[in-house]
Amino acid sequence: MNELLTKLAECVEFGKINLASPYPPQMKGQEGADEITRQALEEGINPQDILSLGLMPGMERIGVKFRENKVFVPQVLMSAKAMSTAMIHLKPHFLSGAAKQKGTFIIGTVLGDLHDIGKNLVAMMVEGNGYKVIDLGTDVGSDKFIAALKENPGAVVGLSALLTTTMASMEKITKEIKDALPEALVTIGGAPVNKEFCSKIGADNYSPDPQGVVEFLNTKIA
Amino acid sequence: MIREISYSLSELTIDVKYLSSMLGFPEGDLPEPFGEYVAQAIQEAESLCDIRGAFCVSENCKFSTNNNHILVEGLEFGVGKTVAKELRNATSVAFFICTAGERISSRSQELLSGDDPVLGYVFDLLGSIIVESATDLLQADIQRMAFSEGLQITNRYSPGYCKWNVADQHKLFSFFPTNCCGIRLTDSALMHPIKSVSGIIGLGADVSFRDYTCDLCNQVDCFQRSHRRTI
Ligand code: B12
Repeated sequence: MNELLTKLAECVEFGKINLASPYPPQMKGQEGADEITRQALEEGINPQDILSLGLMPGMERIGVKFRENKVFVPQVLMSAKAMSTAMIHLKPHFLSGAAKQKGTFIIGTVLGDLHDIGKNLVAMMVEGNGYKVIDLGTDVGSDKFIAALKENPGAVVGLSALLTTTMASMEKITKEIKDALPEALVTIGGAPVNKEFCSKIGADNYSPDPQGVVEFLNTKIA
Repeated sequence: MIREISYSLSELTIDVKYLSSMLGFPEGDLPEPFGEYVAQAIQEAESLCDIRGAFCVSENCKFSTNNNHILVEGLEFGVGKTVAKELRNATSVAFFICTAGERISSRSQELLSGDDPVLGYVFDLLGSIIVESATDLLQADIQRMAFSEGLQITNRYSPGYCKWNVADQHKLFSFFPTNCCGIRLTDSALMHPIKSVSGIIGLGADVSFRDYTCDLCNQVDCFQRSHRRTI
């Protein structure tokens, strides 16, 4: 494989944003995702390959490490930042249709809940794995999820909740989504949620971590 | 009687080692840019925080026969077996609420969704540490008051932990005036500002203080639990 793509994957995995960034210490003074993506495009590497063979493998590796408790939230945020810096260069190619994302993921924290970080992390990781992400924010009711699904047929919905009290809201939203659009897939997560709750409310998947939702999406819509 | 207390950041003990370990550096040596981020966040937090706590004590408390509930001023709290066991010998209870204020979360939010998510996350962690540390001081105030009356205190316990339904927050908040310490409770029992905690402490001649351990909690896949195991 092209050496630039290997390097790019490493930049994403270790959160090396650009030349000026001091992080990670072992890559100080080296070029980062920013410069390497630009270079790859200049060398004529296909934008789709930059995404699929450079950025995505890096993001996947950090996702796995996070799941295994080998890295923590900040390292994942650094990787996501490296990824999004690279994506700035790729965006025009997606808009022109020269490169495609794998599918659409709609995410939000459920009505009555304002907790954000977990949901943001999931959004970043899913985006980094090649999906278009629509983040509806926090305190989101079923109307907004259903409207977003209608605008993006075939998209998968992710619901996040922080407290047991807002899990009730998750149940209601899942039911209302399923009533309106029986084909829609709903995946849930957040600290108090578990597998049993997922089957009880008729959601399609529960993942304790962002990597789990990526794997679910890869089997369902990729 | 309700006592409301404000704290300044300099009164609190900010556990930088804990913050470092939550950032992924359990040894405490923070590589660039984390060291600077932590320093910057702590410095900025001084002006961002509005740290306030309040407590009230009630002597009108008794346990229901099944031992999992406690009745305070006629209101029933389903604290669950674990917490009830700790509170059993209490002759009075203190309810408390405490917050780091709204602005540390809005600053965190702004950074997380903007240019510097990592710094935003540092602010988020710091907000949690600040409110926990302020609650330590509030607890020490409650302890001083108890000692002066020859009483001991239990550790503090919060709705939402150890099978105590978080919906009991509504009953707990009924002991405080609306918007006390600037904290408000949503219908879904979530406190605003986000960096807020609430709970109960038992007081009595025969209660004892037991350290809070992960064994008390039923969240088996908590990242803090697995994290603690590695350090
Ligand atoms: C730090 C913390 C606090 C801090 C800050 C809270 C905050 N929101 O900022 C403080 C000290 C203020 C606090 C207070 C309280 N807390 Co608290 N807190 C935590 C703790 C330890 C970590 C939360 C966190 O920031 N996690 C980091 C993020 C990145 O993780 P996350 O949001 O869970 O998201 C991850 C996964 O869940 C998943 N995920 C999330 N969403 C989604 C969505 C999808 C689709 C998928 C696939 C995955 C996914 O992926 C994310 C990344 O891995 C958790 C325990 C825990 N280990 O989770 C308890 C916890 C959330 N708190 C709890 C409770 C009860 C409270 C209080 C109600 C206690 C009280 N009475 O005072 C208050 C409520 C505060 C409020 N404003 O109302 C309970 C909630 C359970 C319940 N019964 O409802 C927990 C689970 C602790 C426990 N062991 O029971 N808390």
